[in-house]
Amino acid sequence: MDHAQFRLVIPSQTRYLNLVTGLAKRAALVAGMDDATAAKVSIAVDEAVTNVILHAYHGEGEHSVELEVRFTEEALEIHILHSGQGIRQDQVVLPDPKEYIKHPRKGGLGLLLMSRFMDEVRFQEDGGSGRNECCLIKKIG
Amino acid sequence: MADLSIEVQEVDGVAVILPAGFINAHTVREFEDAMESLVKAGRYTILLNCRDLSYISSAGLGAIMGLIETVREHGGDILLSNLQENVFAIFDTLGFTQLYRVFSDQGAALAAAAPERKG
Repeated sequence: MDHAQFRLVIPSQTRYLNLVTGLAKRAALVAGMDDATAAKVSIAVDEAVTNVILHAYHGEGEHSVELEVRFTEEALEIHILHSGQGIRQDQVVLPDPKEYIKHPRKGGLGLLLMSRFMDEVRFQEDGGSGRNECCLIKKIG
Repeated sequence: MADLSIEVQEVDGVAVILPAGFINAHTVREFEDAMESLVKAGRYTILLNCRDLSYISSAGLGAIMGLIETVREHGGDILLSNLQENVFAIFDTLGFTQLYRVFSDQGAALAAAAPERKG
């Protein structure tokens, strides 16, 4: 099977989150995942796009966020590209859920959900465009 | 249809919140406002009936986390019921099912809330 891919570009506004999570869920179903797995993929995409809008772009709504969805034989890949402030892989620190339970507080859980719900989460610079990228990979089967 | 609508009921002395739709970074303020209004009004036992909640992201979890200490300091609690599979998966994955009491239905949650009910 040939690899297929498509792109969606949205303004950096949270009002479009529901649109991209719906797309991510549908893409996961098309890739052959079950409903529960597709729901997890959509949550991971929500968290990644929210991070871009609120942190990379500091809540400024006039920028754009690009989602590139790639279907391969082994996995569904969702690449989230932006020109805002990037994060390096070595800056990613996942909170300890046990500490959260002992000391409840707001924030910091998005990265943890992304890492738990996807098989791979990578932060990198896109070689072609120089933009920053968050790559989410979910294996099929 | 709106991404989120919120209904608040009073049942057997417990404040019951019924969010319907999606709680994400876009809608979380509305959810947070509803929860905070109850706490400000002295309602420290809150049941979150999630029967019509399709989805909650970490933004929504943060809103709940932000109030849990306050309500417990006042002898109350935040209880959860009727979680759909994917919503339960989010709470469970993060270990929150150890932090919150989760019930299959509203009746069971209300029965458990009885000892801490506030007038």
